[in-house]
Amino acid sequence: MARIYNKIVKGNPGVERFFLGNEAIVRGGLESGLDVYTFYPGTPSSEVGEIFLEIFRDVGMKWVESSINEKVAIEVAGAAYARGATVMVGMKNVGLNVASDPLLALATTRPKNSNSALVIFVADDPQQHSSAVEMDSRNYLKLFKVPALEPSNPQECLEFTKRAFKISRELKLPVVLRTVTMVSHARSNVVIGEIKRSEIADDFDLSREVNVASRLYFLELKEDQIYSRMNQALEMSENSSLNRIENEDVKNEYELGIITSGVSYSYVREALDFLELKAPILKIGFINPLPEKLIASFLKRFKQIFVVEENDPYLETQVMAIAQKNGLNLKIYGKDPFSYSKETSLLPFVGELNPTKISLALIKITHIAPKIDLNQIEGKKYKILGRKPILCPGCPHRTTGYALQKAITKIKSKTGKEIYFYQDIGCYTLLAFPPISFANVKYCMGSSIALAQGVAQTNGSLNIAIIGDGTFFHSGIPALLNGIYNKAPILVLILDNGWIGMTGQQPHPGSDTRYYKEGNFKKGINLEEFLRGTGAYVSVIRHDEGNEKEYTARLKELIYEKGLDVLEKQNLHVIVVKDECIQEYIKRHKVRVRHIDVELCNNCGLCYSQFLCPAIYEKDDVAYINSSLCLGCGICEEICPNNAINREEL
Amino acid sequence: MTFDSYTIVITGLGGQGLISLLQILGNALMTNGYKVITAETHGLSQRGGRVTCFLRFGNRLSAPIPMIGSTDMIIATEKSCILDVLKYAKPNKSTKLIISTDEKKIINEDYPSEKYLLSVLHENSDNIYFVPATEIAENLVKNQKAANTVIMGYILRFLPLREEDLEESLKRQFSGENLDINLKALKEGHKLQLDLKLYNF
Repeated sequence: MARIYNKIVKGNPGVERFFLGNEAIVRGGLESGLDVYTFYPGTPSSEVGEIFLEIFRDVGMKWVESSINEKVAIEVAGAAYARGATVMVGMKNVGLNVASDPLLALATTRPKNSNSALVIFVADDPQQHSSAVEMDSRNYLKLFKVPALEPSNPQECLEFTKRAFKISRELKLPVVLRTVTMVSHARSNVVIGEIKRSEIADDFDLSREVNVASRLYFLELKEDQIYSRMNQALEMSENSSLNRIENEDVKNEYELGIITSGVSYSYVREALDFLELKAPILKIGFINPLPEKLIASFLKRFKQIFVVEENDPYLETQVMAIAQKNGLNLKIYGKDPFSYSKETSLLPFVGELNPTKISLALIKITHIAPKIDLNQIEGKKYKILGRKPILCPGCPHRTTGYALQKAITKIKSKTGKEIYFYQDIGCYTLLAFPPISFANVKYCMGSSIALAQGVAQTNGSLNIAIIGDGTFFHSGIPALLNGIYNKAPILVLILDNGWIGMTGQQPHPGSDTRYYKEGNFKKGINLEEFLRGTGAYVSVIRHDEGNEKEYTARLKELIYEKGLDVLEKQNLHVIVVKDECIQEYIKRHKVRVRHIDVELCNNCGLCYSQFLCPAIYEKDDVAYINSSLCLGCGICEEICPNNAINREEL
Repeated sequence: MTFDSYTIVITGLGGQGLISLLQILGNALMTNGYKVITAETHGLSQRGGRVTCFLRFGNRLSAPIPMIGSTDMIIATEKSCILDVLKYAKPNKSTKLIISTDEKKIINEDYPSEKYLLSVLHENSDNIYFVPATEIAENLVKNQKAANTVIMGYILRFLPLREEDLEESLKRQFSGENLDINLKALKEGHKLQLDLKLYNF
C-alpha cells in the first residue's frame, strides 16, 4: 500500500518518475487539486481508479468510488462538479456509451463555483487488446460538444490532465481526456510537479446548475451554455500550445506536410527518421474543437497532406472540410473517409498503427526506396503456435465450465433439445474457446440475459445466459427483471466470484470489502436476498473452505436439474455459483499446492487436456503439477479418476 | 556499443511477468539518465496468450512501438514465442536473440522442432543465446517465476547497467522472500556463461 503512495504521491517538483501513462494521469489529477474520482474499471483505463481507491484518504481527496456502472459514475461525478468540486470520471471507450445519456444533459450545466471542474477520462483500445469491440470514442465529441485533449505519451498524460482541468474550470464545460492503450499503458520518464489541494466553498444552487428537465430551459441553455462556450473553446484551441508545428521550416521535394495527434505522432517521427524524410508535422493535442485557422494556414503551405490517426478518419474528414471551406486544392492522404478501407486508403481503419505501417504509406506517397525491404520482412512467415489466452490456474470459471459441459451433455442426451449460450463481458468469455466452447452470442456488458430471452421466447431450445457478478450489477439487473416479468424460460448462471475480476479485482456493490483495503470497510449487497426478492427461482451453490467435497459433481447436478426444469416447466431459473476469484482468494488463504503421485497416474489426460489447468503438464507419459503455477484450488484432486492428486507433499 | 537509441523486444506468455521485467529494467535505465519508454500489454485476459512488449531507451524519447527490421535485442521468455517477433530482427543479422529454453507446449499442436527453430533463427541472427532460465530458477530458488530475473542478469553484459542498478530496481518491485529469490536469480544470471558454439556456428 505504502509502495503505491510513495511512488505516486511522494517526490518534489522536478523529480523524474518512471510512470505508466495512467499513473501520470493520477498525478496530473492530484496536481490539479482533484476532490473526487468515480470510475468503472475497463482496460486500458483501470489503473487510474485502482490507484485513487488506494491513496485517496491519505492525500485528502473527498471521495473516490468504483461505481456500479459508467452512467452512475458520471452522474455522481456530474453532481459533485455542479456542487463545486474538482472531479474526474474514468472509463474505457465502450463505457462512454453507457455514460452518454447523462453526459448530454451534463454538458449544459454551468456551475458557478470557481472550483468546479470536470474531466472525463476515456481510454480507447485500438487493436482490441482487451475489448469486445474496437470503438473510436472521438466520434462522440461532435455529439457532446465538449472540448477534448489527446496526449501522446506519459509526460503529456500528466500535463494534458492539468490543462484539461484548467480549461474545464475556465469554461465550466466538461473536458474529455482521450488516450489509447499505447499511451495509457506506455511507461516512461515523467517529470512531476506540485500537488495541490482544492477548497470547495459551499456556494451552489443545484436547481439552476444541474440541468432542469424543461424543454424551454434546456434550449435556452443549449445556445448559451454549449455553443457560446464551444466558441470560446475554439479560440483556446487556435491559440493553444497543445497544437504545435514541428520541423516548421523544413522543406521536402514532395511539398508534403503531416497532420497527426496522440500516439500516432510518435510513430510518424519514427517513420520519418527511418525514411530520412523531412516534413513539417502539425501535432494536434486539442482534438475538439479543432483549430480551424491553424489547420488552414498549415494546409496552405503544401500540395500534399498526410493525415495520420488510428481507427476512424476523425481528423481527416475535418481537415478535408477545412480545405474545402478555405478553397484549397490539395491532395489529402489518409484513410479516404468515403472508401471504407478500399485501395484508396493508405492507412487501415482497423487496428493500431505503428511506424512500419506509416513508413509503408509514406513510401506510396513519395516513392522513396527504404534502406531495408519492409515488404520482404513482413512477407516472411514462420510456424507459430496458435496460443489462446487462458483462465488462471485455480480459476473458478474453469470449474464451472467443466461442470456445465457435463451437465449439458446429460440434458442433450435426455431431451434431444438444442442448447444455446449467451456470453457476457468478463474472464468467463474465455470459456468460448475449445475445449469448452460455450459461446453462441456476445454483445456488450449485461447483454447475455436479454439475448437469451430473444431466442427463448420464440424457440423451444434451452437458452443459458452466463454472466459474472460485476457485469450483473453493472447492467444485467434490468434484463433479468425483464425476463422474470415476461416469464422467459431461460437459465441464468451468475458466476459470482466476488469482484470485477478481469480488470484486476476491483470492488462492485456485491463485494465485501472487509478485506479490500485497510480502514475502508464496505459490506457487499447480498445477491441471494436481492434475487429472492424478485420472485425468480434461485439456487445458490458455494465453493468454500470445508465445502469442497464433490463440488463439481454437485454443481453439475444442479445445472442439470434446473436446465430440465426450464425446458419442461418453462420457468426462469437463476443459479448463483459462489466461488471467489482465485487471485483475490490467495491474498487471504494459504495456497495448498497439489502434487501428482506418478505411481497412480495413468496419464488419462483429463486434468491437462480436458480440464485444461495451465499448472498441469505432461512429461514422460505422466502428468505433473508445476508448483510455481498451482494456486491450490484443488479441483483436480476431485476430478482425477485415479485419485492420484493430493494436497500433501509426497 | 552506443546507446543513442536501443530497442529490446520482449515476448512470452501472459502471466510470465513480462511487465515486471520491463519495469525493473526501465527504472534502472531511467535512474542512469536515459529516456526510456515501454509498451505493455495488460489485462488478465492476456494470460497464457502470446504477449509482445517493447522497451526502448536512449538520448531521446522514441515511439512505444519500433520499426520492424530495426531492433537491437529480442528476448523470448518461452522458446517458440521467438518465431512471432523475428520481423523485428535487423536484416544484417546483428540483433541479439536471447531465448529461454522453456517450452510451453499446447494440446493438439506440434511444437516447432529444434531443427526448424535453429534454421530459422540462423536466417535472422548471428547472435543467438539460449538461456536455461527456468531450470536455473527452479534449481536455485525452487521458483520458476524467478526465470525472468535470471535472463535479466544474463543480459546485463550487453546493457549500460551495473548489477547494483538492477538490485536497486528489484528492491523497489519486491520485498521479503520474493526479493531474496530475485536477487539470487539476478546474480546467477549475471555470472552465467553459455557455450555459444553450440548454437552460433
